[in-house]
Amino acid sequence: MTLLMLLFWLIVGGTLQAAVPAWRHMGQPAFPVLLGVVLYAAVNKKTRYFVVAALLAGLVEDSLSLAPLGYSACAFLAAGGLALLLRGDFFADKAHTISWFGALCAATSTGAMALLLRSKGLVALSGGAVLWRMAGSAILAAAIVPLLFGLIRGLERRLGTWEDRA
Amino acid sequence: MLAMMNLPDSASRRVKGAVRDGISPLQGVLRGGVRELRDIFRYVRGIGDLALENRALSEEIVYLRGEMRMARELERDNQMLRDLLGFVQRFPNKLVSCEVIGRDSTGWWQTVRLDKGAFAGVAEGRAVITTDGLIGRTVSVSDRTADVLLLSDPSCKVSVRLARSGTFGVVAGLGAKPGEQPACRLDYVLKTADVQEGDEVVTSGLGGLFPKGLLVGRVTKVEMDESGLYQTAWIDSAADLGELEYGFVAATEKDLAAARPESLVEDVLIDSETSSLEGESP
Repeated sequence: MTLLMLLFWLIVGGTLQAAVPAWRHMGQPAFPVLLGVVLYAAVNKKTRYFVVAALLAGLVEDSLSLAPLGYSACAFLAAGGLALLLRGDFFADKAHTISWFGALCAATSTGAMALLLRSKGLVALSGGAVLWRMAGSAILAAAIVPLLFGLIRGLERRLGTWEDRA
Repeated sequence: MLAMMNLPDSASRRVKGAVRDGISPLQGVLRGGVRELRDIFRYVRGIGDLALENRALSEEIVYLRGEMRMARELERDNQMLRDLLGFVQRFPNKLVSCEVIGRDSTGWWQTVRLDKGAFAGVAEGRAVITTDGLIGRTVSVSDRTADVLLLSDPSCKVSVRLARSGTFGVVAGLGAKPGEQPACRLDYVLKTADVQEGDEVVTSGLGGLFPKGLLVGRVTKVEMDESGLYQTAWIDSAADLGELEYGFVAATEKDLAAARPESLVEDVLIDSETSSLEGESP
């Protein structure tokens, strides 16, 4: 995944996230495209590449919301850090393991973001609402992240930029 | 990352604005595509229902009914434009018509994004309305986009009064609770005040942020506050906050003076087809 491709996925992710309506039944979690891109970089690329991906994805997500700059990057780094820890322990080419992995990281990212926003008094959500949203984001990520991994990997193979775990 | 988090407010706004302005054309295109798809889906579903009900009818009748449906769609669009025309003529402020191109991408806030920003005369802290009533206020404006904090967000507070009794209060959003429609609540209504279900709630004009007399919603339930000092009423917003497609930003003369003339010309052209606001550019 080159930097150009990363930018492409970030723009696609940002556009999609703002277009897809949040599901109230799931606690209104974000459609986890940007998170999926960050996780893909964390699992398949070098650490410094993942850090750049997390910072840029955070910049895009914060720019498209009322969150102060840097908050989403923190949440993405927390989720990506977990991904870095776990990446040796799961099969990155199996959809169901990616699904579980995506769910875990999405819940972590949502929890980290909730902590940051609540600590600054920017949102007024109860603990129950945050847990509900963490569960919702985990379910959404379980469905979306494997699909996104497949899409990014497929495009990388087509463009000849795919390489096994760095 | 620390540098990003500690950027001065003005620099942070510029960075965020640049990213939003860069992505907004794509959002507009995607939103338009989704709208087209939805219209096609509605049309196809209509034909499907018709076929179930009228299996014995010939293909020609189905075709003719399809044509009729299209004509009704056109009639509905026509009526909507006429409503907008009447609305714009009635409203005393200068209005910038905008299209909704997105929602908050994180889901932490109740916001929508409009396709016009500072270049078109939109400024922060302005009331945003539809033909049904108030929907919120602008909170973050870039050159080409503006974010609107909806009435349903807990941090959006509006000073209001009841149209029937003149009682004052403050409306605040309740956010989106799992499985429920976003709603609002009217607080700080005196316990002796006359509040009834169905009462219309309009902006009071106090504070100067929202123009006086804009319809906010209707009372659906009234209760005594836990402290026993006030009444609390639940409000059903007049505008459907979940299905917003258009909005009008109430701009001031100063906002329009700061706008780019070429953007205003475009707006005035749009307005001149639907209203009598020609010549509003500075």
